Amino acid sequence: MSDPVLHASGVCKSFGGLKAVQGFGVSLQGGDLKGLIGPNGAGKTTVFNLLTGVYTPDEGKITLAGRSIAGIRPSRIAAQGMARTFQNIRLFGELSVLDNVKLARHVRVKHGMWASVLRTPASYAEEAEIDAKARELLALFDLADRAEEQGKNLPYGDQRRLEIARALATNPKVLLLDEPAAGMNPQEKKELRDLIRRVRDEFKTAILLIEHDMGLVMEICERITVLDYGKTIAEGTPQEIQANPKVIEAYLGTGDTGEEGDQKPEAARA
Amino acid sequence: MSGANLQPGLHRPSTPAAIVRAWAPVLGCLVLAIVMQLVVGPLLVRMGQDFAAKLLLDIGTNAILAVSLTMVNGFTGQFSIGHAAFMAVGGYVAAGITYYGSYRLFGSPDLAAGMLSTSTGAGSGLFTKGDGLFLGSIFAGGLVAAGCGYLVGLPSLRLKGDYLAIVTLGFGEIVRVLIQTQTTDTLYDPDTIAQTPAWELPKYLGGALGFSGLPSYTSLFWAWLFAALTILVAYRIKASTYGRAFLSIREDEIASEAMGVDTTRYKVRAFTISAFFAGCAGALFAHTVGVQLNAGELGFAKSFDIIIMVVLGGMGSISGAFFAAIILTILPELLRNVAEYRMVAYATALILMMLVRPEGLLGVREIWEKRTWRAIARIGRRGTP
Repeated sequence: MSDPVLHASGVCKSFGGLKAVQGFGVSLQGGDLKGLIGPNGAGKTTVFNLLTGVYTPDEGKITLAGRSIAGIRPSRIAAQGMARTFQNIRLFGELSVLDNVKLARHVRVKHGMWASVLRTPASYAEEAEIDAKARELLALFDLADRAEEQGKNLPYGDQRRLEIARALATNPKVLLLDEPAAGMNPQEKKELRDLIRRVRDEFKTAILLIEHDMGLVMEICERITVLDYGKTIAEGTPQEIQANPKVIEAYLGTGDTGEEGDQKPEAARA
Repeated sequence: MSGANLQPGLHRPSTPAAIVRAWAPVLGCLVLAIVMQLVVGPLLVRMGQDFAAKLLLDIGTNAILAVSLTMVNGFTGQFSIGHAAFMAVGGYVAAGITYYGSYRLFGSPDLAAGMLSTSTGAGSGLFTKGDGLFLGSIFAGGLVAAGCGYLVGLPSLRLKGDYLAIVTLGFGEIVRVLIQTQTTDTLYDPDTIAQTPAWELPKYLGGALGFSGLPSYTSLFWAWLFAALTILVAYRIKASTYGRAFLSIREDEIASEAMGVDTTRYKVRAFTISAFFAGCAGALFAHTVGVQLNAGELGFAKSFDIIIMVVLGGMGSISGAFFAAIILTILPELLRNVAEYRMVAYATALILMMLVRPEGLLGVREIWEKRTWRAIARIGRRGTP
C-alpha cells in the first residue's frame, strides 16, 4: 500500500469544557471514499473544520500528502490540495456560476497581480486556461447552460452540485463533502450518488463524506467512521457498521436515560 | 490540466497582439488626457465656461477617489471611512516636495510648468523639470499613503467585521490632528528655505492655517491622466482572477479562504492599492488652482463625500463610482444657494438608497455590460427594478 494522502491521528479539540473531538483518526488514499457519520452534534463538521484549518487542533497530527497541516491557514491547506463543501451552502451568490468555479482556480494561478494589471501574455494564457477548465467542469456537472446566472439564483440541488464543482476546480487531492445530499429529493440523491462515484473515478480524489442519508452512505462508502460525542465509536465496512451494537445505541439510544443522560448533557450536543 | 484542454474558441493571443491589447488602453488614457487639456479645456474657456473647466478638473480628482475606494468598499466588501486621510497624507507629502523642492531647485515655485501642466496650456515647453518634480511628488504622495494604508490595514484587516471602519475613522483623526498641531506656518523666504535642513522642512507644512502658496500644477491633463489610469487599473484587477478573489471575499470570506484565497493578504492588498490612488488624488488636489491645502477640510466630511459616491454608484461598480463622482461634483455647484442642506440631502439620499436599492445604482455591474442594459430595459418595461 502506498502512503496515505490524508492521515490524521489523535486529533483533539475542546471548546472550553466541551470536548468536541477526541482522538480522531482517519487515513485516506487517492480514490478512497469514506463516510463519516454520527448523530447531530457528534462533531462531524468540527472534524472537517479541523482538517481544513478553520480550527487548530489542540492535539494530534494531520498530514496531507506527507506534510503536516495542523495549525496552518485554511487557504494554504487548500493550496496543498484540500477542498471542501459546506453543510450550509456557501456559494459566492452575486457572482456568476462560471465565476464561482473560476475563482476556485485562483489558487493554482502562477502569474502575479501586476501581470494581470499589465495584461502580460502569461496572464492571458492563464485566464484562457482558467476559463476552459471551469467550463469543462460545469459541463461535467450539467451546469454549462447556467454558466452566466448568478449563483444565488440556482435551484437548491444545482447549488449543491456547483459547490462540488467549485471544490474540484482547486485540483484537490482530498475532497471533503459536508452533507451533500441534504435537502435533495430521491431522484437528485440518485444523481448525486453517481456523481460522487464519477468524481472519485475520474479525478482519483480521496473523498471523505459526511451524510445523514444512511442509504446513500451505506451504498457508496467503502469504509465508515462513526462519531458520537466527539469520540470514534466504530470504524469499518458498511456491513460491520450496520451490525455494530454501539452504533445502534448511539443512533437509537438504550432506553436507559439515567446515568447516561447525566454524562451526556443535551447542551453538549449543540 | 494544461493548455491541451483549451477549447478551440478560446484563442491564446500571439505575443505581438497581446502586447497591443495590453498597452493600447494605456496609450488611450494618455490621449484622453491630452484631448482634455488641449481641446476640451480651451474650448470651455473660449465659450466663457471657465468654471466648467474647473469642475472638469475636480471631476477627475473625485473620480480617482471614488474608484479607488470602490476597490475596498466594493470589491472586498470591507468598510473604510477614512479615505480622505490617505488623500491628506498624499497631498501633504507631494505639496512639501513641490513647494520646498521648487524653491530649492528652481529658486521659486510655479515657474517651471510645461504646457500640459498649466490651465491655459501655454507653458514653457511640453514636459519641463517642474513637471518632472510634480510627477515625482504625485508618486511619492501615493507611495507614502500606500505605506500608511498597509500599516493601518494589516492589523485591522486580520479581523472579520467592522474593525476597519473604526480604525480608519481613528486614523483620519490622527492624520488631521498631527498635521494641524505638529506643523507650523509655511516658510516664505527663499533664504530661510535654503538654509533650513531638508529633514526639518516637514515641520513647516502650514499647521492649522493650511499650506498656502503651493504651485498650481494640476491641469486637466494630469487629473484625467491619473483618473483614466486608476479606472484602467481597477478594471483590469476586477476583470482578472485577482478581481474574482477580491469579490469572493466580499461574498463569503469563509468559503473564499477555503478555496485557497489568503483573505487577509488580499484585503490588505486591496486597501494598500486603494490608499495609493487616494494619495495620488490628494497630490493632484493639493496642486489645484484655488485650493488651499488644509487638513481640516480633509476630515470625516470629505471621507463621507467619497463614500456617498461609492454607495450611490454601486458597491463594486467602477463605472458606477465614476458616474457618481461626476454627478456629485456637479450637483453641489448647481445647488450652491441651498448649500447648507447638502449633508441633509446626502444623508436622505443614502437612507433612500439603503431602502430602495441597497446595492447602489449599478450594483457590482459595469455600464458596458450587456446584463446592465437588460436590467435597465426590464425596469423600463415594468416600471420597477
